[in-house]
Amino acid sequence: MNVKSCLLASAAALFLGQAASAQTEISFINCGAPDGAAPEQQNIDVAEWEAMNPDYKVVQEYVPWGQCQEKAITLASAGDPAALAYMGSRTLPQLSDAGLILPIEMSAEEQSSYEPSVLSTVKFDGSIWGLPRAFSTKAVFYNKALFAEAGLDMPDGPQTWDDMIAAGKAITEKTDAAAFGMPAASFDNTMHAFLNFIYSNGGEVVNADGEVVFNSPEVVETFQFYKDMVPFAQEGPVAYDRGKIEPLFSEGKVAMIVQSFGYRGRTGDVDYGITWIPNGPSGDHATLLITDSLAVFKGSGVEEAAMSLAKFLNEPMRQANFDDIAGWTPVRETDISRALVDKDPNWKYYLESIKLGGPEPQIIDYTALQDVMNEAIQGVVLGELSPEDAAKDVADELEDLMED
Amino acid sequence: MKTRVDSFPYLLLIPAFLLTVTIVAWPLFETFRLSFTNASLRPTQKYVGFENYIEIFEDDFWEVMSRTFIWMFIGVSLKMIMGLIGAVLLNAALPGRAVFRLLVMPPWIVPVAIGVFMWTWMYNGQFGMISGLAQRIGLLSGPFEFLAYKQSSFIATIVTDVWVGTPLVTLYLLASLQSIPKDLYEAAWTDGASRFYRFRRVTLPLLAPAIFTMGLLSAIWTFNSFEVIWILTEGGPRGATTTMIIDTYKTAISRFRFGEGSARAVMILISMSLFMVIYLILMARSARKLGKSS
Repeated sequence: MNVKSCLLASAAALFLGQAASAQTEISFINCGAPDGAAPEQQNIDVAEWEAMNPDYKVVQEYVPWGQCQEKAITLASAGDPAALAYMGSRTLPQLSDAGLILPIEMSAEEQSSYEPSVLSTVKFDGSIWGLPRAFSTKAVFYNKALFAEAGLDMPDGPQTWDDMIAAGKAITEKTDAAAFGMPAASFDNTMHAFLNFIYSNGGEVVNADGEVVFNSPEVVETFQFYKDMVPFAQEGPVAYDRGKIEPLFSEGKVAMIVQSFGYRGRTGDVDYGITWIPNGPSGDHATLLITDSLAVFKGSGVEEAAMSLAKFLNEPMRQANFDDIAGWTPVRETDISRALVDKDPNWKYYLESIKLGGPEPQIIDYTALQDVMNEAIQGVVLGELSPEDAAKDVADELEDLMED
Repeated sequence: MKTRVDSFPYLLLIPAFLLTVTIVAWPLFETFRLSFTNASLRPTQKYVGFENYIEIFEDDFWEVMSRTFIWMFIGVSLKMIMGLIGAVLLNAALPGRAVFRLLVMPPWIVPVAIGVFMWTWMYNGQFGMISGLAQRIGLLSGPFEFLAYKQSSFIATIVTDVWVGTPLVTLYLLASLQSIPKDLYEAAWTDGASRFYRFRRVTLPLLAPAIFTMGLLSAIWTFNSFEVIWILTEGGPRGATTTMIIDTYKTAISRFRFGEGSARAVMILISMSLFMVIYLILMARSARKLGKSS
């Protein structure tokens, strides 16, 4: 290569470098790990959007669950918001109340494309505050070998709370494993796991009129059920969140675990079956309806582009493909979602329980809600609170929080 | 006769003064100001007088405060005792002393978060070393989750904090021990003083300023210890390990109640000021004693 060629190449590199630096950055905070099928698919989709919008460069940052939401909110409150962030939809009331996020413009037709229960998790005060990115419903994974070893005749797994207690007794007595992976740590999925059982017993947290109805016989029964299951759970449930229970299931140390459909890939060599959340004496199979959303923050300077990116990622077929790859319950009904049960019959447990499912309560101080619920669950698990007292304590605190 | 004041030294102090105002005084002032407001994520805030302080005392503040002091007292006592024993042993003419000095370092060198994560696994009932060992030697009949129960998690957080904090105490006291003139020991030995008497009458008095200083610093660090508790228990179960700093963090950062959180931070500042007063009194007494004896 002669001197002239070198100079031309350098000039071209300089030009390209300048062109690249002229791009405006869109910061995008995601929760979880940056590897795996879903982030890879998102990278492909983001690259496609970037190709259509060459003036922008999307800078994605993955922050572990437990810190990601706090980080996005802290940045926004400090006046240096990310343009776009993946948030648990429970955070949206607080963010909109503080004026930190933008409402999403959505036509009636677009709204009707979502599962109604999905849209209800991001809609309040008459506006939509996030684009549903991940929808999770839950079912029970059970270890078939441990059920057989315990001599249990439950070919479809436990269907009721009585079945769970019977299975608990048999597995604890006849195998070396614990029967139930019970999360009771000070973490959000402790409350989430418990809500699955409340809804499967016909209970509610806040009713359609916005009244706290937690102190009900259905909720007391659910606390009692948890109390009854403690002897059959892994030792020390208060030290475990859902993530820490996962290796116990895949190692054959617990026989039942509540999980989303996407958990199938992490079960190790366990021969498992899936069934819906067993119902209590006052209810039917139901699930917690929980979504995570893409929220567009105010004050980033690239709000319009961030909104465009969020809507692009959330377009029906692109989102459906993302749901399918990640193993999420579909946020919309599409050809892909209609084919799910044919593809894997276990999907029916995740889809049919939606109609009786309930949402995460929409409360501005959601962290306080979570703390109150977790402390009550821990109180019952540790034997410090009766089911009645636990339900009453939470209801009283929730009423205060609703007033705030 | 007029004395001319040389302004040059004061000019040199200006950068340091500005830096102190920016990174110490201003945040401190802001904390005080916020503690009298209802500041939250909302863009507006209003003055609420002493409401935040009243709310603190209406909550379980006294419980949290007494827990914090108990946690700190036990932790600092253990660190000081173990640190002093370690320093005396490392100062003694024992074979392999250099190796032991190196072995003291890891808990201090390893980043706190990594060290504490290691302890979370050690406390794990199913896969952890402590539970496994206790089962093997017959102390436990089955797995035991140290972080699942109130008392055991309280003790576990103290043990981990002592593990993190002891090496620095040891090294600091070791350095102080080495600065004690050898001829004092020789004179005491010549007078027939026993080993324990020499320790009590020579080592301890001369080490006292270092012990006071380290004790105070250790108390401040332990009082404000955040990572250890947060990583191990997040203040649980049911608040059993919630100290004032954890309580403040939960209020101000997790719940975004900046006003209430600031009021709690001010209470921490007041508590810390007590240590400072105690330290000054003890130092003054120590100085008087040394003055008299010399």
